[in-house]
Amino acid sequence: MAHANPDAVFAPWDDPVEKPLIQFKNVTKRFGDFTAIDDLTLDIYAKEFFALLGPSGCGKTTLMRMLGGFETPTEGTILLDGVDIGPVPPNERPVNMMFQSYALFPHLSVWDNIAFGLKRSDMPKDQIGDRVEQMLKLTQLGKFAGRKPHQISGGQRQRVALARSLAKAPKLLLLDEPLGALDKKLRHETQFELMDIQESTGTTFVIVTHDQEEAMTVATRVAVMTEGKLAQVATPEVIYEAPNSAYVADFIGDVNLIEGTVEVPAKRASETSVAIKWSATAPAINASADTPPPAASSVTFAIRPEKVAISSTKPKAANVLEGKILDIAYLGNISTYHVEVAPGLIIKAQATNAKRVSRRNLTWEDHVYLSWTDTAGVVLTA
Amino acid sequence: MNWRGRLLIAIPYAWLLVLFLVPFVIVLKISLSDIALAIPPYTPNLKDGFWPMLSVLDLENYAFIGAGAVVAGFAGLVLCIAMYRVIFPRIRRAMLPETADTIFDSAAAALTALAVAIVNVAIVVAVLAFLFPALNAFVEIPDFLYFAAYLSSLKIAVISTFLTLLIGYPIAYAMARAAQHWRPTLLMLVILPFWTSFLIRVYAWIGILSTEGYLNQLLLSIGVISEPLAILNTPIAVYVGVVYTYLPFMVLPIYATLDKMDDSLVEAAEDLGCTALSAFWLVTAPLSKPGVIAGCFLVFIPTLGEFVIPSLLGGSDTVMIGKVLWEEFFNNRDWPVASAVAVILLMILIIPIVLFQRNEQKQRELEG
Ligand SMILES: Nc1ncnc2c1ncn2[C@@H]1O[C@H](COP(=O)(O)OP(=O)(O)O)[C@@H](O)[C@H]1O
Ligand SMILES: [Mg+2]
Repeated sequence: MAHANPDAVFAPWDDPVEKPLIQFKNVTKRFGDFTAIDDLTLDIYAKEFFALLGPSGCGKTTLMRMLGGFETPTEGTILLDGVDIGPVPPNERPVNMMFQSYALFPHLSVWDNIAFGLKRSDMPKDQIGDRVEQMLKLTQLGKFAGRKPHQISGGQRQRVALARSLAKAPKLLLLDEPLGALDKKLRHETQFELMDIQESTGTTFVIVTHDQEEAMTVATRVAVMTEGKLAQVATPEVIYEAPNSAYVADFIGDVNLIEGTVEVPAKRASETSVAIKWSATAPAINASADTPPPAASSVTFAIRPEKVAISSTKPKAANVLEGKILDIAYLGNISTYHVEVAPGLIIKAQATNAKRVSRRNLTWEDHVYLSWTDTAGVVLTA
Repeated sequence: MNWRGRLLIAIPYAWLLVLFLVPFVIVLKISLSDIALAIPPYTPNLKDGFWPMLSVLDLENYAFIGAGAVVAGFAGLVLCIAMYRVIFPRIRRAMLPETADTIFDSAAAALTALAVAIVNVAIVVAVLAFLFPALNAFVEIPDFLYFAAYLSSLKIAVISTFLTLLIGYPIAYAMARAAQHWRPTLLMLVILPFWTSFLIRVYAWIGILSTEGYLNQLLLSIGVISEPLAILNTPIAVYVGVVYTYLPFMVLPIYATLDKMDDSLVEAAEDLGCTALSAFWLVTAPLSKPGVIAGCFLVFIPTLGEFVIPSLLGGSDTVMIGKVLWEEFFNNRDWPVASAVAVILLMILIIPIVLFQRNEQKQRELEG
């Protein structure tokens, strides 16, 4: 996202006057003695496309179900527009949910599925038809209006579920792994469709996914969850470029993690530079951090493979490591080189294959140099 | 198809032939014979030779029990159903699409279609009776006992099926809503009565319902009544017995459909603005319909021919076709008439059995 024009940037979370649409305040949810959501506090703003990301079983669905009204928090409160929605039953919440299983009514046609919520509202009968047609057009389902859910494909079913949850124009739309059943190409197309719909309707979306790429593509902000807690809540760029923990760095995308300690005495080239000792023999890694950790503390250095350069001659850079190529993964547009720089420590380096036969000279068992600048990676203390 | 495949198919067919068709042909043959004071008590039989036996068969037993009227009634019913099937979808279509989606709308359409079908059939019958007076002899009923027994069996079967549904549905619903780890136990409890003899369980009801039975003793002791109630040997006792005996056949298929149902459907309905009650009527009820239909048939079909329950719990005024059949066979030793009664009973049962099969098949197609 370009930050050139500050007025155009959508960042209500940085604006202290902006009031959040949803507020989780110290919410805890227990099932028996199992804690699914653990003292979670979170603000989500109107018109956001908010992604919940995390491994299976970390509590994403539980969080959604509490917003939908199907679970009540054991402790804490959830506010919608500043009002505690604890006592509001699901049918009276201005919230609609697209279920992980789609939950289409098998005995009703596509048309009737989409119209279901409208008929329960106080919308006049003659407007229901128009609204359903509008939804059918939006999701390109016009041809299938008369079919039953079992007569259409998985992708079409998913669109019916989406149309049905959008039909009532809710303030907040909850999408629980909406694209899980789709193949990759259709998933990409639908992601862009979702973003278009979100923009054109102005609805606030909360999407659950375990696909980090999906979260990065669609979301204004991403919350990475682990075991009922939030590991980090930030924009996709921040999550990717400045993860706050090894867990987040590892969860989002590919990363090299090098464990070490901050060198004693801390040799400081500048205020922000950190030298990390990670092996007895090799030189320390030069990195930078806004608030450098104290000397001798143990840290993890994280660097993305695409920020590591690979060459067969020794380059001039802040960090240079020698190693041997163990493996090459050719992915078409890029190649990933697995380089052993110390016994047991393999660092991945990525290079784009701009020329058709570029870098053909690098092959297995070759002796190579890896290099990166001192600002390419991040120093993590957690 | 190779011979192995044929053999595989031949086995169930041979089974059907030996266990159903052969006895049926024998019963059919007896029903076409005349009563005789001999062993076996009908004539002609195989001792007269095979061809002479077949050449003197006649329909007088059927005429005696009023089979013509039953056949006419049967034909009328089939006509009604056929007409209903033609009319119902048209009525549904004629309703505005945005109104025709609740179970009440369906019921209204169904009742209208049924009324139209019945009136049409009545008109056809009246016209036929006017044009062909000879048909009157065909539907003549010499001994009203049998016809009354068919009607009363039908009435008892319909009412007890309805009562069983009324009691069975909430049980099945509660079972399907119970916590996952309770369900096997609850299922076990429903099946448990099958572990003891059906006869003993019906006898137990005599002990409960009789004038000195437990029920009367209990009610007398807590002072609800001052005179013991006469329940045993009345139709009420028969209904109690039938509902009790066939309840599992209603509960199990309904439970199966409810258990299969995705819980998130009801949640989705509530999410879209339904209250718990309307979510039930709009989602749960229509989706459990196949189970309800299967359960109703599983109760209705055996109840129609039920013999043990009416003879143990019912009074002399409870006439059911199974009981008549028994008396004809063993008290009157009139095998030919008894066989004719049995054949007509089977014919009547064919309708619900065929409908049941179609329901099952439709369900399979929907799932397949
Ligand atoms: N109704 C429930 N009863 C008991 N445990 C539950 C229930 N619902 C969810 N859990 C548990 O809570 C945890 C989080 O579940 P969920 O929110 O569905 O995870 P996910 O992030 O995969 O959507 C899981 O370990 C799950 O087993
Ligand atoms: Mg989930």
